[in-house]
Amino acid sequence: MATQRSAELPRRARTVRADRRRRNRADALSGYLLISPAMTLLIVFILIPALWIFWLSFQRWDLISGTSDYIGTANFERLLLRDDVFRKAVWQTVYFVAGTVPVSMALGLFLAVLLNRAMPLRDFLRTVIFTPYVMPIVSTALIFSFIYHPDVGVLNAALNAFGLPKIAWLDSPQAIMPAIIIYSVWQHTGYNTVIFLAGLSNLPPELDEAARVDGARAWARFWQVTWPLLSPTTYFVLLINIVASFKVVQPILIFAGGVGGATSGGGGPDKAAETIGYYLYVQAFSFFHAGYAAAISVVLFLIILVITGLQVGVFSRRVFYR
Amino acid sequence: MSRRGWLRALELLPRYLVLVPFAALFAFPFYWMLVISLGTLQSVFVFPPILYPLWHWDNYLAAVGLITDPSTGQYLHIPWPRYFLNTVIVATGTTGLVLITSVLGGYAFASMAFPGKKLIFGLVLAVYMVPTEVTLVPNFIILANLHWIDSYQAQIVPFGASVFGIFLMRQFFLGLPNDLWEAAQLDGTGHLRFLWLIAAPLARPPMVTIGLFTFVAAWNAFLWPLIVTNSDSYRPVQVGLQAFSYADATNPVLHAAGSLIVTLPILIIFLLAQRQIVGGIAASGIRG
Repeated sequence: MATQRSAELPRRARTVRADRRRRNRADALSGYLLISPAMTLLIVFILIPALWIFWLSFQRWDLISGTSDYIGTANFERLLLRDDVFRKAVWQTVYFVAGTVPVSMALGLFLAVLLNRAMPLRDFLRTVIFTPYVMPIVSTALIFSFIYHPDVGVLNAALNAFGLPKIAWLDSPQAIMPAIIIYSVWQHTGYNTVIFLAGLSNLPPELDEAARVDGARAWARFWQVTWPLLSPTTYFVLLINIVASFKVVQPILIFAGGVGGATSGGGGPDKAAETIGYYLYVQAFSFFHAGYAAAISVVLFLIILVITGLQVGVFSRRVFYR
Repeated sequence: MSRRGWLRALELLPRYLVLVPFAALFAFPFYWMLVISLGTLQSVFVFPPILYPLWHWDNYLAAVGLITDPSTGQYLHIPWPRYFLNTVIVATGTTGLVLITSVLGGYAFASMAFPGKKLIFGLVLAVYMVPTEVTLVPNFIILANLHWIDSYQAQIVPFGASVFGIFLMRQFFLGLPNDLWEAAQLDGTGHLRFLWLIAAPLARPPMVTIGLFTFVAAWNAFLWPLIVTNSDSYRPVQVGLQAFSYADATNPVLHAAGSLIVTLPILIIFLLAQRQIVGGIAASGIRG
C-alpha cells in the first residue's frame, strides 16, 4: 500500500509539470499571437523606416523613376558643407523653437496657475484655451492667413488703432517667422495649460497652505513652493515642446508653401520660413530627391535624439522629484 | 449674496480680469472664421474690417456647390461629399484598427507570459522616440512598392498601431483585479475568451480615450494624405480644403465657409467629449 502510494505521487507531479509546461507554451504562443498585429505595424511602418533612412542617405534615389546609386557620403557633404538653403533652414528652425517654446510654456503655466482653483466658468475657460490645439491645422492656419492679410487683415487694423504701421506679415522676410510663431503659440498653449494643470493638481495642497499660514505672498509661494515641486512636469513639457517645434512642417507648408515661388520650393520670401522639416518635405516630395531627403531626415533624427538625451541627462540630476 | 460670497467674488475678480481677455483672444480666430464666412466679397476687403457677421448664410450653399458663388456667379466644383466620405472612412478605419491592435497588444503585455516580453516592450518604447516626420520618405517608398499610393489603406494601415494606445491598455489591464482571471481559470477559460468576454468589455474608458484621440488625429491628418493621395477619390477634407484655397485664391469668403465646414464636426466631437480628451491628455501627456 505504502509503496504503491509513493510511486503514484511523483508520477502525478510529473504529469502536472508537463501539463503546466504545455500550457505555458500555449500561453506564450497566444501572447505572440496577440502582440503580432501591433508589432508588425510598428516594425514595418516605424522601426524599419527609421533604420532605412541611414542606408537611403548614402544613395542618390529618384522617387519618380525609382532608380538608385550608391554615392557614399556625397549627400552629407553637400548638405552640411555646401547647401545654403539647409543652413538657413537650421537657423530658421532654431529661431522658430526659441520664439515658440518659451512663450507658449510661460503662457501655458501662467494660465494654468490662474485656473488652478475651484471657480465658476473654470471648465469653460480651460476648454476655450485648449480648443485651438484640437482643431485642424489647415483651417486654423487658413483663418490666420486672413487675419495676417497685409491690406485688410484684422491684425493690421488692430495695429493701426494703436497708431502703429501695417506689417506685410506673410509677404515680408522679417515678419513671416514671427507670424508663424504667433500662430503656433496660439495653437499650442492650450496643450501646455492642460498638462501644467494636471501637474499642479498633483501637488500636495498642504505645502502651499503651510506657506500661506506663514504669511508668504502669492509670488513667493509660487517661486518657492510651486515651481520647484512642479519641475518634473515643467521638464516633461519642455521636452515635448522642443521636439514638437523642432520638426515643424505643417504650418510652414500652409503659410509659406506657395510663398516665395512654388517652383523653388516655397519657404516664404527669401526662404525666411524655411525649416529643417519643411526642407525635408520639399526635397522629397517636390523635387523627388529621396536620398537627399533621407540625409536631412538623418540629421533631424540625430538632432532630436541629442536634444532628448541632453535634456534627460541634465534635468534628471536637477529636477526635484518628490 | 452673503458677505463671504462677496469677499470670494472680489478675491476671484483679478483672475477673471486676466483669464477672460485671454480666452477671448484664443477664441477670436474662430469668431473671425464665422464673420468672414458670412460676409460678402466686398465686405471682407474693407479697411478697417467690419467686426460683426453680415449673416449671408447662402455662402455656405455656394461653398458646397449647391448655388453659384454670389460674388463671381460661378459654380464651385468641389466634391465635398466625396472628401467627407473619404475622411470618415479613413478616420473610422484607423480608429477601429488602433483599438484592435491596442487591446490585443496591451492585454498580452499586461497579463501574459512569453519569452522576450521585456525586450519587445523595450522595442515599443524605442519606437515611441521616432518622429513621424523622419520616416516620411521610406514610408512613401514602402507604400509605392505595395502599390498603395492613392488609396484608403495608405492613410489607415501605417497608423494602425499606436504606442500610446498599447501603453494605455496595458496600464488598464495591469490594474484589473487578479481574482477575475483566477475565477475565469477555474471555469477553464483561456486568455482569449477571458479577454473577449470579461477584460475588453471592462476596458471601455481607456478605449473611449484611445478612440477619440485616434479619430481626431485621423480627421485632422494633413501632411501624410497630402503626400499619398493624388485624386479626389481618396483625398480627405483637409487636403481638399488646402487644394481649394490654392486653386481659387479669389474669394476668401468661401474659403472661410469651407474651413468652418471642415472644422465643425471636430468641434462638436471635442465639445461633447472634452472631458475624456482633456483628461486623456492630462493623464498621459501625449502629443497629438
